[in-house]
Amino acid sequence: MGLMHMKNPANSRKKPSKGGLFFFLAGLIPSLIIGWVIYPMVLYSKQAQPINFSHSIHMNPEIVDGIEGDTEIEKCLYCHEFREDGTFAGIPKLAKCTECHDDPDSALGESEEEKKFLSKYVANEKEIPWYSYYRQPDCVYFSHIAHVKMGEINCKTCHGDHGKTDKLPVYQANRLTGYSINIWGRNIAGYKTNTWDRMKMDDCAECHTLKEKEGNNACFVCHK
Amino acid sequence: MELNRRNFVKMLIGGAAGLQFTPLPWKLTDDIAIWTQNWSWLPVPQAGEFTLEKSVCTLCPGGCGIEVRKVDGRAVKIEGRTDYPVNPGGICPIGMGGLQLLYNKSIRFTGPMKRVGPRGSGIFKDISWEEASRMLTARISDLRKNGKPESVAAIDGNPGRSTMAMMVERFIKAIGSPNYIRIPSIEDTYRMSNIIMQGTEGPMAYDLENSDYVLSFGCGLLEGWGAPGRVFNAWGNWHEKSQKKNIRIVQVESRASNTASKADRWVAPRPGTEAALALGLAGVIIEKRLYDDEFINYNTFGFHDWKTADGTNHTGFKTMVLKNYSPAQTAEITGITPDRIISLAMDFIKAGAPIAIYGKGKGTLNGSLYECMAVQTLNALAGNINMPGGVIIHDPLPLNPLPAIKADAVTRRGLNRPRIDQAGSKRYPFSNSLVNNLTEAILKDSESPVDTLLVFSSNPAFTLPDHGRFEKALKKVPFIVSFSPFRDETANMADLILPDHTCLEKTNDIVWPTGLQYPMYGLARPVVEPVYDTRNMGDVIIGLAKRIGETTGASFPWESFEEVVKTRVMGLYNSGGGIVDYDGSAPAWKQQKQRGIIDQGYASFNDMWKKIKSGGMWYRPVHTYKNREGLFKTPTGKFEFFSTQVETAVYEYSKQVSRNKALKAFGIKEKGDMAFMPHYNPESAGKKETAYPLLMVPYEIINLCSNWIPGPPFLNKTLFDNELRGNDSFAEINPATASEYGLKENDRVIIKSQVGEIKVRISLFDGAMPGIVYVPSGFGHTAYDEFLKGKGVNPNDIIQAGKDPLSGQPVWWNTQVQLIKV
Repeated sequence: MGLMHMKNPANSRKKPSKGGLFFFLAGLIPSLIIGWVIYPMVLYSKQAQPINFSHSIHMNPEIVDGIEGDTEIEKCLYCHEFREDGTFAGIPKLAKCTECHDDPDSALGESEEEKKFLSKYVANEKEIPWYSYYRQPDCVYFSHIAHVKMGEINCKTCHGDHGKTDKLPVYQANRLTGYSINIWGRNIAGYKTNTWDRMKMDDCAECHTLKEKEGNNACFVCHK
Repeated sequence: MELNRRNFVKMLIGGAAGLQFTPLPWKLTDDIAIWTQNWSWLPVPQAGEFTLEKSVCTLCPGGCGIEVRKVDGRAVKIEGRTDYPVNPGGICPIGMGGLQLLYNKSIRFTGPMKRVGPRGSGIFKDISWEEASRMLTARISDLRKNGKPESVAAIDGNPGRSTMAMMVERFIKAIGSPNYIRIPSIEDTYRMSNIIMQGTEGPMAYDLENSDYVLSFGCGLLEGWGAPGRVFNAWGNWHEKSQKKNIRIVQVESRASNTASKADRWVAPRPGTEAALALGLAGVIIEKRLYDDEFINYNTFGFHDWKTADGTNHTGFKTMVLKNYSPAQTAEITGITPDRIISLAMDFIKAGAPIAIYGKGKGTLNGSLYECMAVQTLNALAGNINMPGGVIIHDPLPLNPLPAIKADAVTRRGLNRPRIDQAGSKRYPFSNSLVNNLTEAILKDSESPVDTLLVFSSNPAFTLPDHGRFEKALKKVPFIVSFSPFRDETANMADLILPDHTCLEKTNDIVWPTGLQYPMYGLARPVVEPVYDTRNMGDVIIGLAKRIGETTGASFPWESFEEVVKTRVMGLYNSGGGIVDYDGSAPAWKQQKQRGIIDQGYASFNDMWKKIKSGGMWYRPVHTYKNREGLFKTPTGKFEFFSTQVETAVYEYSKQVSRNKALKAFGIKEKGDMAFMPHYNPESAGKKETAYPLLMVPYEIINLCSNWIPGPPFLNKTLFDNELRGNDSFAEINPATASEYGLKENDRVIIKSQVGEIKVRISLFDGAMPGIVYVPSGFGHTAYDEFLKGKGVNPNDIIQAGKDPLSGQPVWWNTQVQLIKV
């Protein structure tokens, strides 16, 4: 009886330990899949921009000669301009588009996107409801002119090679926060390889520090 | 390998452990934190381009200059303009809060509507402008066809001199109805007083900034009287240390209002006895022979006793005042000691440039005509009429008149019918509108004499004293049309809504801000695109007239309201000399005093019009002082202490009835010559009623809308806890009166008059006169949204409105009440 007593617990210890690992993994692996694959898919909504605008066509002087500027940055600023008071206009308003595309009946091209642009927006004088990839929260004060003119930072440093793209990326908004995916970064773990991969507070601070502007890491500089 | 409890737990542990190696928990925590910052109800500022638009505020007849800050086309803030002569920089809280009147859908109408619920329910159905216009014009055309155009009546709250008011009046007359009825305001009292005493048609122009002794009879200088921004600025100037002169402000008012508390001297006569006080002061000045001899002897009529050609002896103002208003007699009436009366009179008359000004709070409602005249006699005695720092006499603004209306037989017949309110008739010869008479006329007959009532820029069902009777009258009117942009109490009674734009969306003019001392024309322009499907009332009127056609349409040859404004403004250009900009370096009141030469800022009419449209102003700060030749246009050509016009009016009316009956019909108690001079009427201080031993006096404050405009909900936050708490508003009473009734702070009471009762809480206030219950005006809406509806009570609910002698306008400041503790 005594032996039986001695063995029995050992038996019962061994048996479940084999199956235990299986069940442990049965919990572990799906949760890794959920966390790394499914969660990001569920978290972000996907919206196509109202019109597929091609930056590369507009930046190509052989196709479009209206965009003036000697340097790349000047060309960006031709449309994404600074207003008279120094504030940054961001995504251009329709009025900027119609500086060149002023005739709704013009044969701009054959593509559906161009037709949509002319018939839906230009003809009705309706603003295009662009999605903004880089809109920061309201509690963040950010001055473009300070970075571009004083800091001499290229657009690309923060926004990537957007100017060379032929298609606008699908806009993805965080369903909880409402912010664009570009703020947290496309990598769900928050890893980045390029300066433009992410736009969180740490990224601002990192650059400030790199450029020996630690003073600008003070809270009130951005959170006024 | 079975899934027992133990293995299930292991699976859970595995799952939990696995999650730690994914970004999920960390990102989720971060996102949840951000999520809490982005709830849909949290206000988020608009992003986009900042722009500033300049315009003029038209929420009251003050017309302060405003600057509207916009972000991406959305108006986000209203501020005072520093480049506007009336109010260099400041505006009142209502003007600032006005932004909410633009966007708030629960306050304003979003398009034309017709009533589907019972009257007063506010249940409407959206209709098109086409349908709305058709409904109204078909009705008017039918009335015209049936030969009854006079049964169309209008109630208009647009400031009297404005082009919009002119359009409404023209529309009603072009239909063929004489019944254009205006909402009473202090401007009526000024107008009648000026006509009777001076024979002048120009507006009341008080040169406050240049005065060194301002004796204010009831003007709520810090409560929003006149152009609030102007008065605040003047108040600041008066108290500048750099001012060499010792400027004194005296407030005559029974309650310690903000103005009274901040004045250099506060004089509190019993409410309704202000006329006696003014005459008492006049008595002291006369008795001590301190009046301006030259002015009195050469420019006035009726000061000394005189004998007419037929040998009748007449009592002059001097004798009348000395006999009836000695300091002792005045003290008896007003409750101010004889010493104080004498010292006040001496201070006033010995000041370098004294001015006595008249008002009642903000001036939203009318004042007492004889009282206003009594105050004006002080200015005459001081000889400050048409002098710097005094009361300046101007011609009306030289705007072009509109051409005469075209009239066919129907129109002519209609216009020859007597007015329903009897204003301008032999019985009310000086009034141009008597809305209280309209109410009574509608209630009197079994059938309403008004078939179609059009209501413009006013909310009489809220603002009129004893508006309950007015509402009762409204119920009898078969068809009511409201042009109000707001979902106000009167609009809720309407059958059809043709909503006007709100202040920031429309072209509208301010023709001479109330009380300003130099000619001034302000033009408000749209600073935002119309937010909803509303239309400028002026354009709507033109459209309606054209649709009615015939001579009504022909009377409106313009394409737009702006064209009408432009036509009128042409008159300013033709009159020569005017300024269309302001940089703050030379205040207009200083310029006018120094008799500067106008450096006209425009080359042609088109240039001027362009500048007025963008800058919003035209003004002419030059004036010829002292010259009194031909200044007074009374029958005697002089400033009349004894009004020959009133005497004639009584005489004319006494052709129908006896002289005594005529006087009685005019509401004048006095029988002799005194009837034609400013005098105190004991009834204006309330009748002695033992059952209702207290007097209720409504009062106005700067951050509460007591006129037809709904109070912007922002302003609720500025009210003190003893003004509004939850849904309770407060009545102020003196602690002595409170202890008589066993009342403590915050107690709930019923204030009961013979008309009705209201429930309030008690606020004990040493600045309240014993025996008086002070109730703020502007609370107690039964319309609008949660921020206005049911918040507090409206004193107008229980006002027992008497009739002001001579003018016939409502007396709203002396309702007898009792207090019942709840």
